[in-house]
Amino acid sequence: MPPATRRRLNIAPYVAGGVTIFVLVAFLLYPIGTTMLNSFAPAGEAFNVLNATLENFSRFFTSSMYQQALLNTIFIGVMVTVLATAVAVPAAYFVARVQIPFKPLILSLSIIPLISPPFIGAYSWVVLFGRSGIVSQYLNQWFGIQMPPVYGYFGVILSMVLSNFTYVFLFVQGALTAVDPHLEESARVMGASRWRVLRTVVLPLAIPPMLAGAMIVLIEALGEFGAPAVLGGEMYVLSTLMYFQIHGFFNLNAASAIALVNVLITLGAILFLIRVNKKRRFVTVGSTTRRAALQTGRGIRIVANCYVWGLLALALLPQLVVVFTSFAEKWPGTLWPTQYGWGNYQYVFSRVVEPLQNSLILAAVATVACVIFGTLTGYVAERKTFFGKWALDLTIMLPFILPGIVTGVALLVTYNSGPIALTGTALIIVIGYFVRRIAYIYRSVVAAVTQIDLKMEEASTVAGATWGTTMRKVTIPLIAPGILAGAIIVFTTLISEMSTTVMLYSARWKTISIAIYERLETQEISAAAAIGSITILVTLILVLTATRVIGKSMSELFS
Amino acid sequence: MASSSPAPARLSVRELTKIFNTPEGPATAVKDVSFDIAPNTFFTMLGPSGCGKTTTLRMIAGLETITSGQILFNGEDFRRKSAFERNIGMVFQSYALFPHMTVFENAAYGLRLRGADEATITKRVHETLAMLRLDGLAQRYPADLSGGQQQRVSIGRALVYHPGMLLLDEPLANLDAKLRVEMRDEIRRLQKALNVMALYVTHDQEEAMAISDVIGVFSKGRLMQLGAPYDIYSAPISLFVADFIGKANFFPVDIESRDHGRAAVVALGGSRFAGVKTVTAASDEGEWFVKPQAALMMSRPEQMWLSSAGQQLDKPAFTGRALRIQFLGSFVRYLVETGQARGEVIVDLPAFAEGVSEGDEVRFGLVGPSLVFEEGSR
Ligand SMILES: Nc1ncnc2c1ncn2[C@@H]1O[C@H](COP(=O)(O)OP(=O)(O)OP(=O)(O)O)[C@@H](O)[C@H]1O
Ligand SMILES: [Mg+2]
Repeated sequence: MPPATRRRLNIAPYVAGGVTIFVLVAFLLYPIGTTMLNSFAPAGEAFNVLNATLENFSRFFTSSMYQQALLNTIFIGVMVTVLATAVAVPAAYFVARVQIPFKPLILSLSIIPLISPPFIGAYSWVVLFGRSGIVSQYLNQWFGIQMPPVYGYFGVILSMVLSNFTYVFLFVQGALTAVDPHLEESARVMGASRWRVLRTVVLPLAIPPMLAGAMIVLIEALGEFGAPAVLGGEMYVLSTLMYFQIHGFFNLNAASAIALVNVLITLGAILFLIRVNKKRRFVTVGSTTRRAALQTGRGIRIVANCYVWGLLALALLPQLVVVFTSFAEKWPGTLWPTQYGWGNYQYVFSRVVEPLQNSLILAAVATVACVIFGTLTGYVAERKTFFGKWALDLTIMLPFILPGIVTGVALLVTYNSGPIALTGTALIIVIGYFVRRIAYIYRSVVAAVTQIDLKMEEASTVAGATWGTTMRKVTIPLIAPGILAGAIIVFTTLISEMSTTVMLYSARWKTISIAIYERLETQEISAAAAIGSITILVTLILVLTATRVIGKSMSELFS
Repeated sequence: MASSSPAPARLSVRELTKIFNTPEGPATAVKDVSFDIAPNTFFTMLGPSGCGKTTTLRMIAGLETITSGQILFNGEDFRRKSAFERNIGMVFQSYALFPHMTVFENAAYGLRLRGADEATITKRVHETLAMLRLDGLAQRYPADLSGGQQQRVSIGRALVYHPGMLLLDEPLANLDAKLRVEMRDEIRRLQKALNVMALYVTHDQEEAMAISDVIGVFSKGRLMQLGAPYDIYSAPISLFVADFIGKANFFPVDIESRDHGRAAVVALGGSRFAGVKTVTAASDEGEWFVKPQAALMMSRPEQMWLSSAGQQLDKPAFTGRALRIQFLGSFVRYLVETGQARGEVIVDLPAFAEGVSEGDEVRFGLVGPSLVFEEGSR
């Protein structure tokens, strides 16, 4: 083959990488930069050196609403992280070290809160614990107990803890299962009691994965929009305040300022956790295949089973309530619904078809884009060395630490007007989804390509294959399971995406989550529940099919 | 705190049996194992993979429940004692160092459990680290140590509280060949210096011979033979042990006559050997024998002679062809193909045999005493 042909073909991955970089710069870095700058511009103007002002930030000093929102964000973030970690670590220990039946099932069930639409579950707490909620009424009738109002801190924190503890649970459980059991055994032979082994060996080993999980929870909590929007009541956090500024006053620059503050808090929290974690030694995984002996004592087994199943029941309760509510045809403020039936589903399938279609289309298009560009970019990043590789890495990972609503605000602020006005189009939503999720594919591809021996590709090239043929025949089949796993996560989390969508949707392009949100606002609870149930069902079917195809368990997909 | 153990104690293991409940049903890992270890003895459990060495050791350490049998320490039931009374130090193949503690803290762990005061801890830990040539590494984390250093730390951690008994499960398996030899001498030196009973597990027979006072050879969950390295090598009581320890040649023979535990035998090819000691093979070793011959004569490679086929000698001999001649430094090894033995024959000579090159016909035979194994009654 003439060398010229080959050289042209070799350009392909760089073209893909180049396009990805262009998209990331144009639709992530540039919008973020613009947002940051515009937060220093007066309302309604674009930033330039002459009009620089701190006016947008002054509200943090003058408005008690802003101050309260800032404090609330920090308080809720910290509380959710601490509580989620506190409930998850014992569960992880029990699953890893005590004889409990159905462990794979436990791990799979723990994923459901992560993949369910975020705030329809939150609303379930109103159905249960609201002023006329089912549980509240019974507690009042039987024991005369008055529940604290579910709106505000109580509901927001409860709902966020139960939908996020899984991260810590899976990380710690995985790490403890992988720890060399000889560590604990040698402590026992030396004379340490079970309690002492727990305190001096097991818990310290659980700290690094615990902090890693806690970091994800904290990032999620600081950027969360759904739970505070539904359950916040009069209580605002930064994300709901941003929404309020844009949908209430259309004050983009004020929202930008809030976004900047939100990002700074998140960044500070991440740096703090990284610092804490740096001092820790990471777990050295043993070479033995011997599994740690499981505790079989009666007492500990009873405690462990009750705790783990109790926690799961609590975490899955919102989903069950959603499904239950979706069958309530009439619920006129009574304790229980007065009429059950399929009516809500008939309503949904006749009136709410479009949001369902929109969600599927938008998520599918964004997923395909993520797969194509994430794969090629991940491949280039792993196999080739080039200038500025670290910058690419960092940029792709950036959305991981940016609250979703900030990405939404940034895109909205930047492409609202001017030469490229994208507001209101499907494209801007797809772009938002793309920049937020490409990292999942990118990371799985980098991890998978690292595992492949370069010699296999070289053998194919030596045998006369072009770069494209080698990719198609050798590389892609080997990394396909990793890509597929990434694609499923991307697709399922996008179907019910809320934080970015809430800033970018338009009358023409409403998604499932927006449809649910609107019906919650208008108190059409049962209709919202029906949409939620359908989403839960679709997501579960997708994930289950995928786990069959790839041969991985549900929990492995997410950790 | 248990300072140097009071009176030297004796460990007795009585008919120890372990049956695991596996999904495929009960599996016997250790069956009726009994042995006695005198104080200050270096005892090694040797055997192929999966023969139950680790399981036996773990039962002694109290890490595995005992299905039946007893472990006695100076006549007292070991199981009834607390971990402090048993006072065991244990070293694992994976070192099992606590990754979140420094070398110092790792070594101090056992002393802290025993409630030692800070001054004693500092003194003892530094003594022990110095003994293991680890001084200067006290503040490092295990991840920053080489494999050999990690191994030393794990030995130090087990010795620092002066245990009465040191259990080691293949402690050298992760080290490279040269370091393995160095470390095994060091372990032996420490054991003797500290007067501690050692129970050592390995599947490397050379290592076992080099390090032990007493070796117990295991096969399929049973203790096949117990004895000093030389006794096991020169007087194996089963074909398995004869074959597993060192190299062995086996010749199918018929027994012609017997006299006080000795026999006269006829080998294939008609050679006669008189006054050979007879041993009854283990009961499940029937398939070793080559029918129709009823017995197997065993000989070690270095107890054989070999010469070119042309030489006529007036002693019982076998014939064969030299397949391969290997010069191995201190001796020369001949691999001989013959129809008169079970498999190829190995002959080790101190020097090259005159006039023999690869492919030549040779004669070979036995120097000195040998053993003949008879099939045991089933
Ligand atoms: N926890 C267990 N459950 C079921 N079977 C077990 C268990 N532990 C060990 N076994 C079985 O018991 C037998 C003896 O195992 P053991 O670990 O004692 O062998 P070993 O002699 O130490 O071998 P190696 O040299 O490979 O370490 C093996 O067949 C093993 O499969
Ligand atoms: Mg073993």
